[in-house]
Amino acid sequence: MGLVSEDEIRWMADLMKIEIVDHKEYVEKVLDMIDYFAILDDAQSDVEISTIEIPLERLREDKHVPYDDHLIRWLKGYRDGHIRAPKMV
Amino acid sequence: MDLRISVLDYVRGVKGGSISAEEFVAASMERIRATDDHLHAFLSLMDGVQEQARSIDKKVRLGQDAGMLPGVPVSIKDNMCIKGTRTTCGSKMLQEYVSPYDATVAARLRDQGAILVGKTNMDEFAMGQSTEFSAFGPSRNPWSADYVPGGSSGGSAVSVGAFQCMASLGSDTGGSVRNPASFCGVVGFKPTYGLVSRYGLISYANSIEQIGPLARTVQDCALMLDVIAGADSHDDTTLSGHRQDCLSGIDAGVEGKKIGIVREMTGEGVDPRVLAATQQAVSKLEGLGASCQEVSLDMVQYSVAAYYTITAAEAGSNLARYDNIRYGYDLPLEGYEHNAYVTKARGMFGPEVKRRMIIGGFIPSAGHAGRYFLKALKVKARLAQEVNDAFKEYDILVSPTVPVLPFRMGEKIDDPVALFLVDANTVTANLTGIPAVSVPVAVKDGLPVGLQMMARPLGDAEVLAAAHALEGVTDMPEAPA
Repeated sequence: MGLVSEDEIRWMADLMKIEIVDHKEYVEKVLDMIDYFAILDDAQSDVEISTIEIPLERLREDKHVPYDDHLIRWLKGYRDGHIRAPKMV
Repeated sequence: MDLRISVLDYVRGVKGGSISAEEFVAASMERIRATDDHLHAFLSLMDGVQEQARSIDKKVRLGQDAGMLPGVPVSIKDNMCIKGTRTTCGSKMLQEYVSPYDATVAARLRDQGAILVGKTNMDEFAMGQSTEFSAFGPSRNPWSADYVPGGSSGGSAVSVGAFQCMASLGSDTGGSVRNPASFCGVVGFKPTYGLVSRYGLISYANSIEQIGPLARTVQDCALMLDVIAGADSHDDTTLSGHRQDCLSGIDAGVEGKKIGIVREMTGEGVDPRVLAATQQAVSKLEGLGASCQEVSLDMVQYSVAAYYTITAAEAGSNLARYDNIRYGYDLPLEGYEHNAYVTKARGMFGPEVKRRMIIGGFIPSAGHAGRYFLKALKVKARLAQEVNDAFKEYDILVSPTVPVLPFRMGEKIDDPVALFLVDANTVTANLTGIPAVSVPVAVKDGLPVGLQMMARPLGDAEVLAAAHALEGVTDMPEAPA
């Protein structure tokens, strides 16, 4: 019995917008890979992980920053300052 | 025209007028045309290289500064941008992507007179150890075409090993420069994290990947590093004030150095032929005046799992941008709802990338982050402590670069965990940010073996000097291709 189920993998693939077309190619190998990570359970590592907290006042002001129009033009859906995208519904 | 000379000899010849850059580059391009149908090191070749070489010769004739790499033909892995040219990352998702800007490393090479001859093959999005995961077909090992050249910078190593160009740039996230260097019998170097700008490198796992040079000699690698290293305002992870001069100290040697042989990288799972080559190399280092002892790094046994956990999480985030709206290929919008469109577009990713995206979504998700991701971060932190402690006693740590010899095409492609373990000795340098070089030390059953040498952070010059000393007492044949 693996650490995670086949259904969980399929659910995650759906969330990542990845279509699973070959059961063996994707699900079984992904399960093999995740099962290998269980070796981490054996690691005796009691160290604290250092994280860097950035106070809110150090973040930039929340205001609109225009994109560089020169770069936006490189997108293939560019038209009159807008980008075309598929409809949401 | 002898394409086998070193970069340093070539630079002296061009600057002294005894070698024509135009003739040499023409011979290199002819070599590529003659061999690449078979080797498949390149995904694209650049236009205008002959004109650039002619310009270098003209500068030399006029007594103008032609740079540190005048007319040196260099290849670049196809995950680094060169303005106006395709950068595919080995993926059909980006097969028509033309970069609007230069990667910093490409600009620095060109500023010093190098001639960028082409973009090299790679595992898709740098995810692989054999170049078999390239969407455009695998590269082949110049020592034996039935064997993989390593990866993910396999095309870069082949191009250098097969004398198609003099040097190359690869990217190393878990060994992707050192592994193919070892498999193809060339020198490959992963610099200290932050020494080389990643601006213009298509991201895989930002927190640990570095661009590094491949060349046929350690000195040539050092020269390439001297050109590309240095702070960059476009990449905030670059270190300020640490532009190194690795070439001038390259003759420092290893006399009096204390060298640690990493026990966990030389035990179970190491091919006896690789182990024998490692022991011979250690004996040579002792003969040069170094003292060598075994050292234990307990966390190495968990390093591969930690590495793949962390990189999958970062890759899952990085690859989320490929929705075919911001990045992608020419798929018409009409007839698709948004989610269906993105799903259809992501069908262009190959199987290994899809697998790692799924894992990358799963690993940091609620309910699983504590089991995988946080533990991986703890292993990474503990490993860094162990490595720091080891460097209080030792100057250099050594191991086989790869525990096994180059393997046959297709031999491991269906076994992802077997492929993971190919990285067993290389990921430590990435997880801890230290510099590491692979230098060829032996040929076993017709296939090359590399020794990995690691140094403390910013010990890039020291480890290259040690590798240069070892290279000087190693009699390596050239690739037969």
